[in-house]
Amino acid sequence: MRRFTDQAYVRTRLAIMGTKLLSREEFAKLVAMSLDELSAASRFDTISGESNAARLITFERTLMQTWLDELSALLRPLKGSARRLLTHWASRYEVLNIKALVRGKIGQLPNEEIEKTLFRLPGFLSLNHDQLLNTDNVVELLRQLQKTPYQRLATQALRRYEERPDPFLLDATLDQQFYGELIDRAHHLSGTDRAEILALIGRIVDGHNLVWSLRYRYNYGLQASEVLYLAIDGGRALDRSRLQEMLHADTLAEALGHLPDGVPGHGEMPRQIPLIEATMRNELFAYATRAMRHSPSALTSVLSYLVLRYSGINQLYTIVHARVYGLSDELLHEALDPLHEEAA
Amino acid sequence: MRAGIDMRHITLTLMRDDLPRASLVLAELEAFAPDERPLLESELPEIPGTAFRARMRRAWGHLDRLASVLGELPDTAPDKPRALLSREQLIEIDRWLAEAWQHCSPCEDGLHRLEDEFRDLRHLEQSLNDFADLDVDLSRLQGGKGLLDIRIGSIPADNLDRLSEVLALSQHLILNVSGEGEALRIVIAGTQQTAEILDRVLLAAAYQALTIPESFDDNPDALRAELQTRRSDLEQQCAQWRSRMAGWLKLNGEQLRQAKQLLEAAEPYVHLHGAARSRGSLAALQGWIPGSRLDAVESALQKNLSQPFLLQSRSPRSDEMHLVPVPVKTRGILKPFSLLVQQYGVPRFGEFDPTILFAVTFAGMFGMMFGDVGHGAVIVITGILLRRRLHSFTYLFALAGASAMLFGWLYGSVFGVEHWLHPLWIAPMSDPIYMLTVALGWGVAFLTLGSAIAIVNRLLSGDQAGAFFGPGGVLPLILYFALLGGLVNLAQGNDFPIVATAVIAITLTILIAHQWHSSDAPYGERIMITIIETYEIINGYATSSLSFLRVAAFSLNHVALSLAVFTLADTMDTVGHWIVIVLGNLFVIVLEGFIVAIQTLRLEYYEGFSRYFYGDGKPFKPLRVGRTQTY
Repeated sequence: MRRFTDQAYVRTRLAIMGTKLLSREEFAKLVAMSLDELSAASRFDTISGESNAARLITFERTLMQTWLDELSALLRPLKGSARRLLTHWASRYEVLNIKALVRGKIGQLPNEEIEKTLFRLPGFLSLNHDQLLNTDNVVELLRQLQKTPYQRLATQALRRYEERPDPFLLDATLDQQFYGELIDRAHHLSGTDRAEILALIGRIVDGHNLVWSLRYRYNYGLQASEVLYLAIDGGRALDRSRLQEMLHADTLAEALGHLPDGVPGHGEMPRQIPLIEATMRNELFAYATRAMRHSPSALTSVLSYLVLRYSGINQLYTIVHARVYGLSDELLHEALDPLHEEAA
Repeated sequence: MRAGIDMRHITLTLMRDDLPRASLVLAELEAFAPDERPLLESELPEIPGTAFRARMRRAWGHLDRLASVLGELPDTAPDKPRALLSREQLIEIDRWLAEAWQHCSPCEDGLHRLEDEFRDLRHLEQSLNDFADLDVDLSRLQGGKGLLDIRIGSIPADNLDRLSEVLALSQHLILNVSGEGEALRIVIAGTQQTAEILDRVLLAAAYQALTIPESFDDNPDALRAELQTRRSDLEQQCAQWRSRMAGWLKLNGEQLRQAKQLLEAAEPYVHLHGAARSRGSLAALQGWIPGSRLDAVESALQKNLSQPFLLQSRSPRSDEMHLVPVPVKTRGILKPFSLLVQQYGVPRFGEFDPTILFAVTFAGMFGMMFGDVGHGAVIVITGILLRRRLHSFTYLFALAGASAMLFGWLYGSVFGVEHWLHPLWIAPMSDPIYMLTVALGWGVAFLTLGSAIAIVNRLLSGDQAGAFFGPGGVLPLILYFALLGGLVNLAQGNDFPIVATAVIAITLTILIAHQWHSSDAPYGERIMITIIETYEIINGYATSSLSFLRVAAFSLNHVALSLAVFTLADTMDTVGHWIVIVLGNLFVIVLEGFIVAIQTLRLEYYEGFSRYFYGDGKPFKPLRVGRTQTY
């Protein structure tokens, strides 16, 4: 993005859109509201449907649509590699759909059940879910997927699944392929855009690698080499040799002792994996907030905004969902902010 | 000229049993677009056909999978009257298709298995070729001996780098890599101590081990013959599966065709979704219809429905303007221009439809930039000769070529020769400044017309602020005229008029104040937005006006290119002269014609459409027979 007017357009749009990001205090206010107040504040009351479940599906779809509309507005001045990178980022939600489809097929769930868990994406990102749902098993699903733009991803996943039908191995393959392609696209950018965007993506990958490597190694009992193979390239502070150092430890606590300096929360990392995940997420959001406001690369600011906005939308949906189904405050707080709950 | 202005909203109240028939009638007329808003929810709370829809999905799922194994399914007969699909028939079809899939799916599995075996065989053949020249006994190395662990196999090319890095960490090495494309053949060496760990990593890397036949070293010819036999055997198995499938299709093709036809006929009913609602035996259907088709729809319903119905129609309300779908022109001479307009966007309901204006100005600007009787005639003739390939774009070629011919007459140019015809207006090179002035004048007229349309469009859509203050609105237009008037005076050697200065100052102040008040961003951002938006308005008009200079520049360029061709031709002998003349003219027609067409399109899109055309309307997508949309 070189033209001054394009940069100005994006910055102006971001400045306006940034006001939609809710602070921790604003979320706390939403949590404290009654269902009626919350429905009015979140515009859930404008959604009609046969049941609350149907209304929640429409609500989720509306929120997702909002996110996608904002993405489209921000994509407008972008061309070439920058545009391809952001479009690929948006396809992340279709990768989540593929994972949900795979899990559903492994669990032999009815198609209607699987469908409820899928994101509804616009045409340019979306697969034909009907075709994928109408398959008898994971292998047939992946073969169908080979006939789509996700062919490369599906071919790898199919080969691994045929060798060893482990759902987590499939998940890891899908993530590896997705981030691999994302980083590849980031390398096609030039100058400041490339350095800044790789710094942001590197943090996202670090969080992913740390959490999943610990899970694979200490919860699922995988060998260190295997975990290393499943790690994603392109991390910022956690490259493969750093991870190797950590994963040769016998216990999670020992492994955390080998955390490199560059990893956020180093020295004070909690000992439970969900809390480690929350720590890494919080650090990422803090970095994304700074990058959105101050990064010299407008593209990085856009991606930061999209990351933050999606998280905000997710939290709003979680609050409404919890209130509609009458979940306890304790559970809701734990879902929204496990670190805060742990400290309390 | 206003898009979709005769669209009507209809509510068809009828007996629930007639709903499938009514949807089929509407689909056959292709005049009805469903409206899924829950307008009738309180009176008619149910959405009919939910279970039917789910069963249809399943049936289509089976049919699609059968098609993926059997290839293209037999086509439905278009002339045959369409029969409606009852619930019982659907259950029966779904059951039969499920059984058919159960019968055919082993064939699909079998074919995939054979594909894998073919791939392995190919890898084996290639690996043996790779290692044939090495003086190594591979069969002895396979699996390793003593402390050594050796593996020979293949991995996806994407995984090579990652695997190399991880193997180094577990005391293994990749010794040899060969092959290209998606899969690579590799040799891995390491210690037996870490063999078990290696197994797991290789599994994750989708590694496939290669089994070296024992005869590889002592009898290569026998091995080649053995591999050839395996290949023939696989080909035979493939042929068997295919013939089994063909046999099944021969027996069941007619039933499959009928099933497909019945499912297609039920598609319109299924696609109504929330546009149809019911309570007990009463149902209603709502949507949009072009007013001109209303009578045809009513009489078709009267002819086909067995029970009474009520068809009510009304004009769109002001609060639903943004929801009204707009039919796009897809026939006649305007079709290619309509397609080009749609590349930019679909007009909103009631918005000025730019298709005719686009066609006229496109032809005009193309002709002015490419004015030549001969070259224009070649474009017309090319369009006519390629009409089967160009389809509706033949009209675009004809119109652009005719316009080039007309301007050719005005410029007195035939194949670049300027002395065969006396110019009816002017030869561009005789007065370039005059040509540039005309182009600028044309640009001002074009932009003014665009702004006028923008103002009307915004007023019609209720955007009064946009009509007065937005880009291309009343105030920016006044500001533009004041600037223009002042600059013309300056160019004529006079002072910048005081009236123009005052108008500029007043309009700028109002525009800045408006920008400031319409933003609710923090102060810093607000200042930036105000400056950028105001600057954009002035800069937009200035750059857009100058952009039209290219119209004159290309008319001059056309003459200059022709001159270059003649100068080059004059340096040749007679044969060379005519070769250069012919090839030079072809070069001018193809290359310059292409560039001029792109430049004209650019002027239309960026200087025209972006000024006055919202282009965010909803295209009218009528209910159709057959499987035209996904669920």
